[in-house]
Amino acid sequence: MHALLGLGCSARRLLAFAGACSLTALLTACAGGGGTTSHPGGSAGSAATTGGAGNSGGGHVGPGNLSTASASVARRLSRTELTNLLRDALGDDSGAAAKFLAEDQYRPFDNDYTVQEASGALIESLEAMADDVADRALSAANRGKVVPCAPTGAGDAACLRSTIESLGLKLYRRPLSEEQINAYLTLQSFATEANADVPHDFYTAVNLVLRSMLQDPEVLYRIETGRPTGEPGILRLDSYEVASRLSFLLWGSGPDAALLDQAKAGALLDGPSRSAQASRLLADAHARAQIERFHSMWLGYRAIPASAELAAAFSAETNKLIDTIVFDEPSSYLELFTSTRTYVTDALAAHYDLEAPARGQGWVSYPDSKRAGILSHGSVLAAFSKFSDTSPTQRGIFVQTRLLCNKVAPPPANVNVDQPPSAPDKVCKLDRYDAHRTLESCKACHAQLDPIGYGLENYDIAGRYRTHDDAHEECVLPDKGELPGFGEFSGPGELGRLLVDGGKLEECFVQQLMSYAIGRELRSEEIATRDALLASFEGDAYDLQQLLKTYVSDERFALRQEEVVP
Amino acid sequence: MKKLILPRRTLLRGLGGLAVGLPVLECMLNGNGDAYAQSGSLPKRYAIVFAGQAIGGDDWEENKYMVAGTRTTETGHFIADTAAGAGYPVTTPLKPLDALGLMGDFSMVSNLKIPWNSSSVEGADVPDAGAFRDFHGGGASPLLCGTRSTSASFKAASITSDQIVAKLNKTTLDSLVVRAQPSWYLSGSEFAGRQYISYGDGGKAIEAQINPGIVYHSLFDSFTPEGDGEQAAHDFELRARQSVLSLITDKRERILAKVGAADKLRLQEHFEQIRALELRIAAMPPSGGSQCQKPAAPTDNLPVGSDNAGSGSDTIGTNTGYSDEDARARVLADLIHMAFVCDLTRVATLQLTVFQSHMNVFEISTDFGMPIRADLHECGHNGDATTRGQLPVSMCLGWHIGHYAYLMDKLKKTPEGAGTVLDNSVVIFMPEAGHGVQLNDATSNFATHSVDRMVLLVGGRAGGLSPGRHIVAPANTHPGKVLLSAMQAAGSTDDTFGQVTGKLPDLFA
Repeated sequence: MHALLGLGCSARRLLAFAGACSLTALLTACAGGGGTTSHPGGSAGSAATTGGAGNSGGGHVGPGNLSTASASVARRLSRTELTNLLRDALGDDSGAAAKFLAEDQYRPFDNDYTVQEASGALIESLEAMADDVADRALSAANRGKVVPCAPTGAGDAACLRSTIESLGLKLYRRPLSEEQINAYLTLQSFATEANADVPHDFYTAVNLVLRSMLQDPEVLYRIETGRPTGEPGILRLDSYEVASRLSFLLWGSGPDAALLDQAKAGALLDGPSRSAQASRLLADAHARAQIERFHSMWLGYRAIPASAELAAAFSAETNKLIDTIVFDEPSSYLELFTSTRTYVTDALAAHYDLEAPARGQGWVSYPDSKRAGILSHGSVLAAFSKFSDTSPTQRGIFVQTRLLCNKVAPPPANVNVDQPPSAPDKVCKLDRYDAHRTLESCKACHAQLDPIGYGLENYDIAGRYRTHDDAHEECVLPDKGELPGFGEFSGPGELGRLLVDGGKLEECFVQQLMSYAIGRELRSEEIATRDALLASFEGDAYDLQQLLKTYVSDERFALRQEEVVP
Repeated sequence: MKKLILPRRTLLRGLGGLAVGLPVLECMLNGNGDAYAQSGSLPKRYAIVFAGQAIGGDDWEENKYMVAGTRTTETGHFIADTAAGAGYPVTTPLKPLDALGLMGDFSMVSNLKIPWNSSSVEGADVPDAGAFRDFHGGGASPLLCGTRSTSASFKAASITSDQIVAKLNKTTLDSLVVRAQPSWYLSGSEFAGRQYISYGDGGKAIEAQINPGIVYHSLFDSFTPEGDGEQAAHDFELRARQSVLSLITDKRERILAKVGAADKLRLQEHFEQIRALELRIAAMPPSGGSQCQKPAAPTDNLPVGSDNAGSGSDTIGTNTGYSDEDARARVLADLIHMAFVCDLTRVATLQLTVFQSHMNVFEISTDFGMPIRADLHECGHNGDATTRGQLPVSMCLGWHIGHYAYLMDKLKKTPEGAGTVLDNSVVIFMPEAGHGVQLNDATSNFATHSVDRMVLLVGGRAGGLSPGRHIVAPANTHPGKVLLSAMQAAGSTDDTFGQVTGKLPDLFA
């Protein structure tokens, strides 16, 4: 299905739109030139993938083989991860990171390390953030949370040491070396110096310690070194490094005290102990928030063009479905795409024209197969729009790239994608999109995209069902589309069913999950790992919690490979 | 009493041994006040103010527009629709400059063109200094750095004009790169490079600072306050800040030694930026010539707007997609002005709106009396249902030029030597697009997606610039020639800019 290669497409324009796949064959080719019609499709501007060039020496594949440990680098914490770390380590939920730092790029995840750069603007923003957080942390009302002892005076070195050790453990995610502690202790001079003009005390020193920690690369980056194994370039992580991998994957934050205790005891170096900790972490609310966030990035609805009120309602609906399937009533993860019920309030039920729930909010059943699962939610249906309305092409790109991990080539250069398709004699929207079906330079790509969107076109930008174009009653919408290579469908529910039955969705999901865990697109040498993980997923009846435990239990979760510098 | 003459090269030694120049003190000048007493001319400043919008309506001739459903044909609204030479009639977008009496302080250069290949869309076939056949991305590199683009990416292929000039000077800050528009405003997609207008060697993008409070601290934290108590507090904070950072830079070697090659590169970059910050902090502040004053700190509660619900028509919403860029731009211009006056830097870029900007124009257009329900990009293409074409686009352009005029005016009102700071500056206004044949389809005319009939404004009198004229450039004059001329006015001796050579003599006396 997805191997239409080479039809005259310029190799230089192979760019990934979105999604985390750098591996499956180019979906289709776009011939250059031609086309004077305006062009509605194409992304508004996803960045080209840089993708790694690293290639570990081929060799064997399969789980447990050292040489397939993933290459990794020092990954800077994303803005959300930093926010979570500040909240969990310091009790600071002021959102300081969001206030001072620029937003990460979403590709579609916020933790793609291949686009992280340390700019002057970043360093200045971090200094401002550190100042702000430290002032709040050491305010009279809050300092008890941060300083574990009662200082006897400005020069109480023992209490400063305890404070440094305690803060350092939480922020660095490992105990500080003696050298590091002594370096921070020198800041005590600011507490004790003779200076009648400037108010200063013990807490002044702590403030400066915290400011320094919050600007330190060892805190801001997840620096993994590891120790040599027998294999060249393959390193074995220590317990603290593994603890961080666990907590950042499952919570999007630093390890909690219990996990740090495990690390201190030298545990986490075997699969079963990692699995046990994963169970504990998954049972916590942090994990729910993390899984919910993962989905909002993967499926593109983390920011949708809807009023704040409606966006919140959609968010609640979608998070409830995710939570139920993954945590509360664990069942096959694939039910996320086929669930025949959704959790709504009266208002949301009315919005969708569904039966009202009992008692103001609750589960209601969809009336037919056209709606089912997460693809029917307003959250997903609102994403990938264009020109204030749904875009069949954008929705097609969403399905191909995010759910099937196929690449889609960009439109030919000289086509103006800033204008909706125009054909003055054609009133009906899909008639205008027909240009994609007829023009030589358009049809090869669009044949893979638009038919998907046609099957969803009856669901508007707010997820409501409609029978015709918004402004034209005579333009009846088809209520039928095609997922090329899989079959015809009517509505997001039937699309979900085709995807689940088609055997590619779960493979792509595993790939996206790995991509998020590793912090970049997967590489060809990681495919075997993906496939083995997929087999486990299937063997465990698609239990997502179990998948995550399987992933972290794998020997390679505690290994890393040096990234090759091109 | 004999006037004290300080040699021009009098420098202050900062705590880190870093030398920094004083701002222009009168006692350094010659008798005429137009040069340093002991040879050399006054510092030359270089600034670019960028507007991420078209200069006409897509598919609209320049004398046609519709407002609130009424169609009108009327000249004088397209920025360059006016006579050549001096004393030309003021067009709509230039009115803010006129209102501040600045028409004699800048020249408008119109009819500029970036070359492109009408018979091929391949990257390899883009002519030197030309544009890849896909707007908006294709237009970025040739405009910013004079080197051709070969893909739709917004990335400049080589160093931009501001950074070339920055290398000529040694000031506390090499350059000030700031942006008013803080967010992309369109869910499902990203800036993806549209947020850069300054690039270093080899085309390395320079991240702009969007937080005015951080820009303020970066510039003015080192200023010594007046009273004793305040000076003590200031000194304490400065020492503390330096100690905090030195604990980090002190461990650079230890960290880099324990990581592999890839991590060394990544972390080295981070350490170097911290080191650069340390050096800036160590530089002594100017002792304050009469015009250099630490300004009041800007408010730090500027909002960041949420995403728009679409790009145009009635569904875009009226309270999304806007982060009070108007206030942000003004604060940033204030900071650039005082940074120049205090000689903390001599180079600045102010990106008001990003390439292909989706900033919601409802608020600014309501302020100028013509409410438009669209984002800036859509305003150029289709406006909203009842308001579109030349006039609304020109009004939005005028909003941008209003901020350019504000900066020019502040520089002009600051005395320096025998003249003003503006006399020693080059201040460029740079819109993203022209208004001619469409780059994409090579057919449509009066297109917003065009690198034909581009316009640049060149303000100031540094280096012999002689402003006050509308210069209609000869056919096929690349905007890079204007920038090359501007760089030369700011002291550069380069005779090429990317793949562009030649200047525009009409800009000079």
